[in-house]
Amino acid sequence: MVEHSRHHRRRAQGELESLVLSALREADGPATAGWVKERLGEDLAYTTVITILTRLLAKGAVTRERAGRSFAWTPASDHAGLAAHRMRRVLDAESDREAVLASFVTGLGPDDERLLRELLRPPRSDGED
Amino acid sequence: MGVFVFLPLVLPLTAWPIARLAAQHLHPRTATRMLTWVAAVMAVCSTVCLCLVMVVGTATLPGNPLPDGWSDPEVREAVPYDEVVGKAAIPALCVVLLACARTLWRHTRTRRRAHRALEGLPDTEVAVLPDGTPYAYALPGTGPRRDRVVVTTALLDHLAPAERRALFAHERAHLAARHHRFLLAVRLAAHANPFLRPLHTAVSYAAERWADEEAARAVGDRRTVATAIGKAALASRAGGPPLPAFAAPGPVPRRVAALLAPAPATGPWPEVFTSAGLAAWGAAAGTAASAMSSANAAVTLFWILRTATPL
Repeated sequence: MVEHSRHHRRRAQGELESLVLSALREADGPATAGWVKERLGEDLAYTTVITILTRLLAKGAVTRERAGRSFAWTPASDHAGLAAHRMRRVLDAESDREAVLASFVTGLGPDDERLLRELLRPPRSDGED
Repeated sequence: MGVFVFLPLVLPLTAWPIARLAAQHLHPRTATRMLTWVAAVMAVCSTVCLCLVMVVGTATLPGNPLPDGWSDPEVREAVPYDEVVGKAAIPALCVVLLACARTLWRHTRTRRRAHRALEGLPDTEVAVLPDGTPYAYALPGTGPRRDRVVVTTALLDHLAPAERRALFAHERAHLAARHHRFLLAVRLAAHANPFLRPLHTAVSYAAERWADEEAARAVGDRRTVATAIGKAALASRAGGPPLPAFAAPGPVPRRVAALLAPAPATGPWPEVFTSAGLAAWGAAAGTAASAMSSANAAVTLFWILRTATPL
């Protein structure tokens, strides 16, 4: 069982996060971790669900409030929001990301902004210049 | 082989004027391909020669695992200044190998992580992320994962519909022409021989220009692409994380200016006595010289070592 959940975690953290977020978004109002575990139906350990929920909380994708002895969880963003957060973390971790990912634009030098605005001024209709 | 063994190590110095001329006068597609090939061949030749020099250097070290015959005076004579150069080649080769391995590893890691970040989104070509930072980039597929264009809502908000089409066409051109392979190749080449660094900068720029030209063709209006690039750059400057600054004028204004000018000619191989011709033929000659002298050095050393090895 432990072996199995560890396998899950290694396989796809992102996938599990998405699954848990989907489950929460299907709930009517705040849901507990136990409810999420039942809803997913997979042989996920209760602690795994808690771990994933906590990770989603750190990413701002869910919020929680005390409900008796446990927490009730509410989705705060959709999958796109979660992906955006994860992507920012990837980009921030990669100091030299231009090297790997061909960005649409690179940074502007000190004089580039003025140059750009000059270039992009709409052309004059009289055809001069 | 004499001093010729050192020639491939210094011939990449010719890359600087070649890169400059090619970036200015050749069609970006030609420039990207040609400069990448020049960089790759020169890098391989330079590394081969470094290996040859290292063999001679290692053979003179006490306790080395190489055959005793390899430290004969005849072998040492093959490489001038073998004592100093041979030993210097050992750490140099280690640095080259480590730097290349590190670059390859980081390249695959970042691509994998970026794909993982997009998990849970619908499997579409364009992934739109709700993010306040304006950015867009092309993410090449790995294994079963498809090529994707990643763009944030903040960037899309700054662009008119036609400019958005220009942005997508630009990123698709990167993916369709597998630009990341060119970029990776020149990065590795720049690690193999620091004199090849100008080619890295030149190829990065030429690949962007190539994608710009493809986008202009797809959209049918050069000015739209120019405006899209300009707006995106100004938007990124306003709210984005700090990006590396270049000495003025940076690549973005040059790209915009090139798009506002007429489309570059996609003619055949240029005449010798034009600037474009000088770049192309100079690159071809330098590369050929580098390849020949490293081949010459390799063959010579092979025969010397073969004769020196007791059978």
